[in-house]
Amino acid sequence: MAIQFLLALNRQGKLRISKWYANIPESQKRQLIRKVHKLISSRDHQKQSNFVQFENQKLIYRRYNGLYFIICCDLASKDNELSYLEVIHLLVEILDVYFDNVCELDLIFNFYKIYEVLDELILAGELQETSKDLILNRLHYLDALS
Amino acid sequence: MSSLKTFIKSVRNSKTIAAERAVIRKESAKIRTSFRDVHLDEERRKKNISKLMYLYILGEPTYFGQVECLKLLVSPKFSTKRLGYMATMLVLDENQEILTLLTNSLDNDMKNSNQFIAGLALCTLGNIASPELAQDLYPNVEKLLGSHNTYLKKKAAIVAAKLVEKNPDLSELFLPKVPALLNDKSHGVLLGVLHLIKSIHLNDESSHDRLITFVPRILAHLRLLTTTGYSPEYDVKGIPDPFLYVSLLRTLRMIMANVEESDNLEALNDLLTQVCSKLEGTKSAGFAVLYEAVQTIFVINSDSSLKILGVNILSKLLTQRDNNARYVALNTLLNVIEYEPLAVQRHKSTVVSCLQDWDISIRRRALELTFAIMTQQNIRVLTKELLTFLNNTDEELKPYITTQLSIACNKYSPNFKWHFETLISMMKVAGNYFSDDVLSNILALIMQHDDRALTTHLTIELIRASEKYYNEYGLVLVTIWCLGEYGDLVLGSTYEQKDSKKTKSIKESSLVDLLQVFSNISTFEKISQANQIKAYTLTTALKLSSKFKDRGAIESLRKIITKAMHDSHLEIQVRAIEYNEIFFQPASVKRGILEKMPPPPVKQREGVSLLSRSTTLKTKGSSSSSGGNDAGNSGNLLLDLLGEDIKKDASPEETKKHENTMDLLSDIFGSISVNQQQQPPAPAKLQKPASQNDKIIDLFGSSAASSSPSPSPALSIPKPLPKDNEIQAYSDSNINFVFVIKENSGNGFALLEARVQNNSASILSNLSVLCAVTKQQKLQLSSISNTTLSPGDSSTLNVKITGNPGSKLKIRVKMGYNKAGQPVNKQFDFNAGGKTL
Repeated sequence: MAIQFLLALNRQGKLRISKWYANIPESQKRQLIRKVHKLISSRDHQKQSNFVQFENQKLIYRRYNGLYFIICCDLASKDNELSYLEVIHLLVEILDVYFDNVCELDLIFNFYKIYEVLDELILAGELQETSKDLILNRLHYLDALS
Repeated sequence: MSSLKTFIKSVRNSKTIAAERAVIRKESAKIRTSFRDVHLDEERRKKNISKLMYLYILGEPTYFGQVECLKLLVSPKFSTKRLGYMATMLVLDENQEILTLLTNSLDNDMKNSNQFIAGLALCTLGNIASPELAQDLYPNVEKLLGSHNTYLKKKAAIVAAKLVEKNPDLSELFLPKVPALLNDKSHGVLLGVLHLIKSIHLNDESSHDRLITFVPRILAHLRLLTTTGYSPEYDVKGIPDPFLYVSLLRTLRMIMANVEESDNLEALNDLLTQVCSKLEGTKSAGFAVLYEAVQTIFVINSDSSLKILGVNILSKLLTQRDNNARYVALNTLLNVIEYEPLAVQRHKSTVVSCLQDWDISIRRRALELTFAIMTQQNIRVLTKELLTFLNNTDEELKPYITTQLSIACNKYSPNFKWHFETLISMMKVAGNYFSDDVLSNILALIMQHDDRALTTHLTIELIRASEKYYNEYGLVLVTIWCLGEYGDLVLGSTYEQKDSKKTKSIKESSLVDLLQVFSNISTFEKISQANQIKAYTLTTALKLSSKFKDRGAIESLRKIITKAMHDSHLEIQVRAIEYNEIFFQPASVKRGILEKMPPPPVKQREGVSLLSRSTTLKTKGSSSSSGGNDAGNSGNLLLDLLGEDIKKDASPEETKKHENTMDLLSDIFGSISVNQQQQPPAPAKLQKPASQNDKIIDLFGSSAASSSPSPSPALSIPKPLPKDNEIQAYSDSNINFVFVIKENSGNGFALLEARVQNNSASILSNLSVLCAVTKQQKLQLSSISNTTLSPGDSSTLNVKITGNPGSKLKIRVKMGYNKAGQPVNKQFDFNAGGKTL
């Protein structure tokens, strides 16, 4: 069940965001990210599907310009891959409005804000809210509080 | 102290990796030092923690900041608290002991009247809940589930689901909260409570009856969603909240998977039809819902018309340009074919067209599906496609195709001529991607046919094909073998050459030439393959020598053998020397030795799955077949015992050895069919066949076997006559296995008695019987009444099966016993003559 982890990597494999929902030892995370990048970056953007089996898991990814957003979920739970693809898109759409035309630099300098967005969208590896407007309102409100 | 922004900039501006490392190390050291300062003010701590988070993203160690994060989140200031919690979620995980320090803060904050503070605490608990935290804090979560605030309710529901995962006992506590939450209109709360239901379902089996009472509410939400037109708030490309759709369907599917007839089921059937018809023709987000709906159709007890609709939707997805849709459609079809083979077969052309896809994961799935939909009716068409595919495909798929195709041909081929021609075409293009099993299977098949005209035709075809494709290992091997066995049949025939269209007649000398070509091929990938070809060539040369009349040709054959007497490979050298001896034996002796091989049985094999094991191709069935059938394996084992250095290659001569030892084997196992004297002894064992046998017999310490024909003692025991309700499940010379159906009332329950009788003349000990039924059924086994059986004795055990009424009664039985100190294992399937529960 649920999302195991979510990554944002650029094409060179530099990590921009990593959020781990499954309990994975710190020591393995680096290696995992390297493997994921190797696998994803070798795939053809146009002609191949956005799903790929990865060890006992499944990666669902989407590329936006030079940036990959990757969700990893358990293979056995037979999660709906197409739906996760929409989750990624929803996240990116929210980021796009929130940062007013999001680009990789936003992710680099405002990485902590991405985590704030993620915490409103996904909780414990589960989608918690699907309304874009609701999330954005909430985020603006939270920012005003700070 | 510099700001976070400056730190990020300086990392980014570093020209080299070394410079970057230096910047990071320096900053990391600074942060560490500042954390040691007991009077660190909150602003600086905040700054340092945000840098610590950046270090985390860079993959640097951050453990030294863990306590500081916890210090930060007790701050009364919201922005500071927020940063503290955020950093805590990143640098801590549920394994850390330090987490216990968090309990108090979480407890306080969850009680805070400010929804955002309580929200932060909930979020943190959800993301890094350890079993201890779950135990300490569940009352807070329970309270928040009853709050009036949707923001907190939705978070609390997901956290509750997570806590149930950590501690299943908590489901009792959260279950009463579900109905109220299900009445909420907010999609967020609904998603949360659906997730809670799923989690309870997965972690607490006893909850099923209570969960099923929620179904009408969930159905109502689904109905509402299908009737909703445009909803701006939740719209994703024209679909009103596909995520909620997916979650509703998935939850219903889980709860209702085993529900028989009920109003709810009917309502769900109707709704699924509505969902499917409403979303047909939509794009990406719609596919996600359709995909979920189709999966649901095949899990619940849906109408057959709905199932067909499901397959049609999948086939529509297959024709999409969207790779993702094709991928999930193929995946689902692979699961569905079990239930609706006919409906899937109707879409075979769509499936086959996916073989040409660019994406290998799609090709791979399409390939597996192609084999799955193969039947007697469509095998010709599909095989044609597969052979084209085989020619251009990736190497890793080739062994899979050759294995599967030969299995499929065994099962479905319309006639033998077509079967052989398909196999030849396959060998022409498959290169070396054969498992030994496939090759020996092909040989067995050829030998089983005593239609001379067909065999002649086949051998000519082989000669013709191998002339051109002499680099194809499998083809050459089979050709050489057939030359040795059937070389005399084709003499004088003519055939048209592949390239020049010239007619060529087959003479003794031309066969010799061909053999010479084969023995000199050195282009095979592996040296072992070239050696195997050589070994086969030798045997064939020897065999032909007794069939040929032309002195010149015979002399050339002898030269092939004598040449190999100096081969650097020991096995070949030994064989050549032995053959040279036999070569000059009188014709009568030779004829006996070189007689045609008796046909070995064709192994029945089950298909292999590509996705679970793509490279290692094993056949399932062979290992469980009886000792006599397992000529290759047990023969080899025996020869190993005798200290023979035998490779896996089953050349004619070696097969003969196997054959011979196999007979001994079956003798040892008490088989009836053996008659040693009619079998020509293997050439290699020419000198002392009798002592050889003795040796083997000694090894097994059995007195039953002897090299003279003797009627098996098994014959003396009359087989019990089958009575009513008694169905014979399995029988061989040792064991007679009968199922007696004692009770089968048609209400989903059956009581059977399994009776095992010893048919052999010796004592069978350590008898064990294991049974398995399909996943949908449950099975109870009593212990076996007697584990040691004297000849004629029998032993019983009771088998209770419960399942859906009307489902097929099917049992897989695994049986093991010791006979004369040797363990024997059998496996077979029992289908009760089509009886149902």
